[in-house]
Amino acid sequence: MKLSSIKYLTGEGFKNVWVNRLMSVASVGVLVACMVIIGLAILISENANVAIGNLEKQNVVMVYMKDYNWALYGDSQADDEDVSASKEETSDSDEAKPDKNGIYESDYIIHNDEEAQELCDKIAKLPNVESVEYISSEEGLETVKESMLEGQEEYFTFLDDEYGNPMSAAAKVKMKDMELFGETIKQIEKLDGVDVIQSQSDLADTIAAIKKGITVAGVWIIAILIIISLVIVSNTIRVTMYNRKLEISIMKAVGATDTFIRVPFIIEGVLIGIISAAIAEVLLYFCYRVATETIVTTLGMSDIVKYSEMALPLFGIFVCIGVLAGAIGSFIIIGKYLKHEGSEFSAL
Amino acid sequence: MEEISINPADNAVQKPIIEFRGVSKTYKTGTHALEDVNIKINKGEFVFVVGSSGAGKSTFMKLIMREEKANTGKIAVNGFDLTKMPRRQVPMLRRTMGIVFQDFRLIPTMNVFENVAFAMHVVGDSGRHVRVEVSKALSKVGLGDKARSMPSQLSGGEQQRVGLARALVNAPDLIIADEPTGNVDPNMSYEIVSLLTEINKRGTTILMVTHDHNLVRDFQHRVIMLDKGKIVADNVGGDI
Repeated sequence: MKLSSIKYLTGEGFKNVWVNRLMSVASVGVLVACMVIIGLAILISENANVAIGNLEKQNVVMVYMKDYNWALYGDSQADDEDVSASKEETSDSDEAKPDKNGIYESDYIIHNDEEAQELCDKIAKLPNVESVEYISSEEGLETVKESMLEGQEEYFTFLDDEYGNPMSAAAKVKMKDMELFGETIKQIEKLDGVDVIQSQSDLADTIAAIKKGITVAGVWIIAILIIISLVIVSNTIRVTMYNRKLEISIMKAVGATDTFIRVPFIIEGVLIGIISAAIAEVLLYFCYRVATETIVTTLGMSDIVKYSEMALPLFGIFVCIGVLAGAIGSFIIIGKYLKHEGSEFSAL
Repeated sequence: MEEISINPADNAVQKPIIEFRGVSKTYKTGTHALEDVNIKINKGEFVFVVGSSGAGKSTFMKLIMREEKANTGKIAVNGFDLTKMPRRQVPMLRRTMGIVFQDFRLIPTMNVFENVAFAMHVVGDSGRHVRVEVSKALSKVGLGDKARSMPSQLSGGEQQRVGLARALVNAPDLIIADEPTGNVDPNMSYEIVSLLTEINKRGTTILMVTHDHNLVRDFQHRVIMLDKGKIVADNVGGDI
């Protein structure tokens, strides 16, 4: 196609938007509505992801270890038979003696900080583990004391002074993907030296379900609205095309190719899409600003995604939707017309 | 410029611009529109196509413009074999012909100049060349001073002359006029056919469908008469 033809056809496409301004305005209106809804769905999904991310960060798992304190205070009854058997073997060979509390070295698995750190390293190597923080029994006790209400610390001081620290050494574990929560817990449980795991498995399940729900709903909303956009643009082009039946018949009579006839309609559709994208972007900015200001002032939430971070990707998405809806809608409609009615130019 | 022949007897030595060999056309509805049509129209001829309604005139024209395809037989127009021609080549065929419609087909939102220039834009022309050629075409049809007028400001005859300028502007070898005088008064009809005759004298082949027997009689061109899908007469006007 010659450059002059491209210039002419582009001009015609722009002119079409103006000549059919009523239909163009209607299409832009509906497209803007669709795009704003799509934008809101994306922003809600993004904010939900941020919120879920924050929840995920808080959702740490405490892995308590079979250390001396576990042997002394913990629920080691279940392991008693094994422990006493090994105890007898050890006492035969090494002539081991119990300490002042009657605890043999073989009564527990994690004997010191090095062994505890080794267990932490093993946990850290598991595929779904993001980070592991070792918390010694002393640090654990301090944390518990800090979390106590004023005056209650004395109870623990008493225990500490009388019998020693009741807290076992622990590993604070963060996971990468909450959907693999159960599987990871099983892997940790299998490691030697692990006593109990304290977790908020319900919260993990809820987070995973919310995340999945938002993703599925978002995809459906976007898919439906893209189809609506396509239908709207197609209808505008259909009306424009019937309004320009005369021009098309003359074009065909003087030897215009199908591509030449198609191009102005496609340009018109694309232009409607781009105009809609620009308006939707501005409108969404104001809607989002009002919504976030309200949320911040009423709910006191601060972890809200900034519009400036999303402005460019959203505009990209809007332009893509607009351009694709415009181009595909026009292409299909004009193609159908040219194949059937549009081929007869003499009997208009 | 080729010499114009109005005598069908001379056709054998002339190069045909339109040739039908054993052409039949039956529509899906079962209507037999044309039956075993054999005809040659030479370059530079002026031919009237006459016949009552349903005689097959429209189908005859549609086959030439490749708006319809023949069921049997061979059609050649301007060097194109229409029986074998793929759809994508049809625009190239149509660029060799100018079409004048009974209902003028002017775009009401464009002025006279733009209506004529439109035919040039469609084939990829632009700029100064368009301005020059459109002005020439408008002068040929006597509308040089109406370039900025809108179609609604023109009489029927003037509108048809704009249609004629549009058909002429791409310098076609063949002009197909489908009852160009059907919507204009008798005086204007004579003016239009006179104009077509002038154009024909410059070498352009003219094929004109008409119901007006006075025009056929007065202008003394070759006349092809169709009836029930068959050519029943092929002679010079006065003899029909």
